[in-house]
Amino acid sequence: MKSMAIVVRDDSYDKLLTPFAFAYLQASEGCQVDMLFVNWAVLALTEKGAKEIRIQGDHADQDQWVREQVTKAGLPNDINALIKALKATGNVNFYACSLASQIFGVDKSNLIPEAEGIIGASWFLNEKANNADHCQYF
Amino acid sequence: MDKNKITQSLDTSGKCCPMPIVDTNKAIKSLHIGEILEIIATDPGTRSDIPSWCERTGNELLSFREENNIFNYQVRKLKSS
Repeated sequence: MKSMAIVVRDDSYDKLLTPFAFAYLQASEGCQVDMLFVNWAVLALTEKGAKEIRIQGDHADQDQWVREQVTKAGLPNDINALIKALKATGNVNFYACSLASQIFGVDKSNLIPEAEGIIGASWFLNEKANNADHCQYF
Repeated sequence: MDKNKITQSLDTSGKCCPMPIVDTNKAIKSLHIGEILEIIATDPGTRSDIPSWCERTGNELLSFREENNIFNYQVRKLKSS
């Protein structure tokens, strides 16, 4: 697989782990990974938002325990540190959806430097998802 | 020179997916073609992941053994990465 596109919409900590883990796997092997963050997940591309990400819903009380397991597995347990590790592979691009950015208050001033920018979903779907060998939606 | 001598050993014990594969990808880059990487793992996912990684990346799985839930793989680098 040479390229993969991933759309991430959920900002619950546990639900972010899988797309990040899959991206890390493929990127480490030289696959180009493009990730679009839509809806609440766009907040993961801000420093403050990433810090505030927690497990939500039924498993909310297990946030700390899950982070400990993530550390044991060898991954950074902090979302921003995870993004930095993925970026360090040189094969992952992070994009913030413009609609989500407008709704949830993400702009150039708070977007993390690891992100490529705020882009339109049409561009991502046509230029990245449509041309990728594989697409995933979380 | 022993052509089956391990050049580098990578111990991923305790780590789980995706790290054994991520670390293997990093480690193989530092080897020359023909050299051997030993991978030690405890993640049972590596039993499927490492052989398929070898096939996909064009490297040769020389051996695999399991002892007390510790998995040992020896991989010869055959392609530049």
